[in-house]
Amino acid sequence: MPALASTSTGPLRGAARLVQSPVFLYLPVLLFLAVFFVAPLSMIAWMSVTEPGIGLGNYAAFFGSGRSLRVLMNTVLTAGLVTVCAVLIAYPVAYVAATSQTLFGAALLLIVALSFWTNFLVRTYAWMVIFSNNGPAQSLLVTLGWQPPPRLLYTYFASTLAMTQMLTPLMVFMLYAVMRRIDPGLLRAANSLGATPLRGFLTVFLPLSAPGIINGVTLVFITCMGFYVTPILIGSPRDMMISGLIAEQMEQFLDFGGASASSMILLALTLVLFSIYNFFFDIEKIWSR
Amino acid sequence: MFARVLAFLTANFLFWPTLIVVPMSFSTSVSLQFPPPGYWWGYYSAFFSQPNWTGPMLNSIITATATMVLTMLLATPAAFALVRLNFRGKKLFRLLLIMPLLVPHIVLAFAYYSYFGKLGLVQTYAAIVLAHACIAIPVATLILTAALQSFDSNLERAAASLGATPLTTFRTVTLPVMRPAFLVAAFFTFINSFDESVIALFISGRDTATLPRQMFNSFSMDADPVIAAASSILFSLVLAGVGMAAAARLVRARLAARA
Repeated sequence: MPALASTSTGPLRGAARLVQSPVFLYLPVLLFLAVFFVAPLSMIAWMSVTEPGIGLGNYAAFFGSGRSLRVLMNTVLTAGLVTVCAVLIAYPVAYVAATSQTLFGAALLLIVALSFWTNFLVRTYAWMVIFSNNGPAQSLLVTLGWQPPPRLLYTYFASTLAMTQMLTPLMVFMLYAVMRRIDPGLLRAANSLGATPLRGFLTVFLPLSAPGIINGVTLVFITCMGFYVTPILIGSPRDMMISGLIAEQMEQFLDFGGASASSMILLALTLVLFSIYNFFFDIEKIWSR
Repeated sequence: MFARVLAFLTANFLFWPTLIVVPMSFSTSVSLQFPPPGYWWGYYSAFFSQPNWTGPMLNSIITATATMVLTMLLATPAAFALVRLNFRGKKLFRLLLIMPLLVPHIVLAFAYYSYFGKLGLVQTYAAIVLAHACIAIPVATLILTAALQSFDSNLERAAASLGATPLTTFRTVTLPVMRPAFLVAAFFTFINSFDESVIALFISGRDTATLPRQMFNSFSMDADPVIAAASSILFSLVLAGVGMAAAARLVRARLAARA
C-alpha cells in the first residue's frame, strides 16, 4: 500500500508536507476520541471504585442485592427472548428477499428499510397507542370474546413484542447481507441431485447463512441489552432492565457510584460478548469487503 | 411458498403498527383513544407554532448539522489514513474507531452526564454535539473507508504526475469521485444525531432539548397529543426518503437495462 506522500513527485515543502504526514490524518480523531470517548468512560470506571468510598463496595452492593441481580437476569433473558423471536421472524423475510428477484422481494426490503429508519420513539409511541386501555389491541381481544380484556400497556409482553418489532429490521439486514452472496446454483444443484426443497434448504442454504445469523444475533442481543426508552415507556416497572436501573440510580437516588458500577457491568457484559464474537469472527473484516 | 407467507406476515408486523400514528395525529381526542372520535388539523399547527415544539425542532436541526460537520472533519482524514497508510498501532486505531458503536447509549449518557458536568458543559449545545460526534464517527468512517477502497488511486497519481499539487488533486480528482460517499456519510451522520434519544435525554437541558427529548418527555409526563403530529411528520420524512431512494434505484436499473 503506497503512502500518500508517494503520489506526488519531487520533495514536498512546508504546509503540504505537514498535511501529508500520516500523523495529521489520524491524530485529530485519535485526540477527539481520547478526550470525548475514552476519558468519560474512564471517569465512570474510576467513580465506580471511588464514590462514595474507595473500594469495590458498589460492585459488592450490586451483586449482594437481590433486586439488581433480578434486573441483570431479566436484562439477559429479555434480550435473549427478543433475539430468538427476531431471528425467527426475520429469517423468512431475508430469505425471500435474497433468493427471489421479484417485486415481492423488493417490496419486502422496502418495508424493512422503512421500519429500520423510523425513529425508535415514534415506533414506541405507536405501540403505546396500540396497547393503551380501550385501544386497538384490547378492542380486538374483546371482539375475540376476551371480556374484560387484560391490561396490556406497562406489561412485559408489550415491551418484549415492541422491542422485537424494533430490532427485526436490523436482523433482516444482517441476514440479507450474507444470504444475497449465496450462489443460487448451489440450491439448484442440490435439487438436481434429488434433494427435496426442504432438505436442500437445511443442508445447503441454512449452513451457508450461519454467519449472517451469528452477526445478527450478536448485534441484536447487544443492542437489546442496552435498550432504555421502550422498556421504560411500555414495560412494567417490575421487569426493569439494567438501563432503567442505571437511570434510576443516577436520577432518583443520585447514587453516582452505584450507577457507575451498573454501567460498568453492562459495558463489561457487552464487551465480553463482543470479544467472544470477535474471537470466532474477526471484526476486522467489517473494514474490507 | 411457505417462506413467502411467513415473510408476508413479518412485513405486516413491521409495517402496520407504526402507521397508527397517522390517524392519531388527526384525532380530536386528547387521550390515546383509538379509533379517534373525530378529525382535525390542530396538532400540526400546534407543532409548527408552539415554542415547546418549534424550539426542540430547531435545536435538533442545529445540533445534527454541527455534529455532521464535526464528524466529517474528523472521519475523512481517518478514513484516508486507514485505507492509504500503514502505521504502527493501526489495528488498535481501527478497534478504537468502532468502539463507540458497541457501548450502550445509556452507559454513554451517564458517562457524559458526569464528565460534562465536571467540565461545566451539561445542558449546552456543545455537549450534545461532542457526544453525538463520538457515536457518529464509526458510521462515517465505515462508509468512507468502504468507498475509498474501491477508489482507483492511479487517478490521483496521474493528476500528480501532470503537475497538480496535492490540494488540487484532492479538489479536482478525489473529491468529485468520492462525492456520493461523502454525501451518504454526511446524511447518515445527520440522521444518527437527529434520531438519538437516550444521550440527549440526559445531557440536553430545557433550553437545548432536542426533538426526541421533547417527545420522550411528552410521553412520560404531560401526554401532549401533539406528539402524534410530531411522530407522523418524522414518519413521513422517512417514508419520503426511503421512497426516493427506491425510485432512484429503479430509474438507475432501467437506465442500466437500456444501455
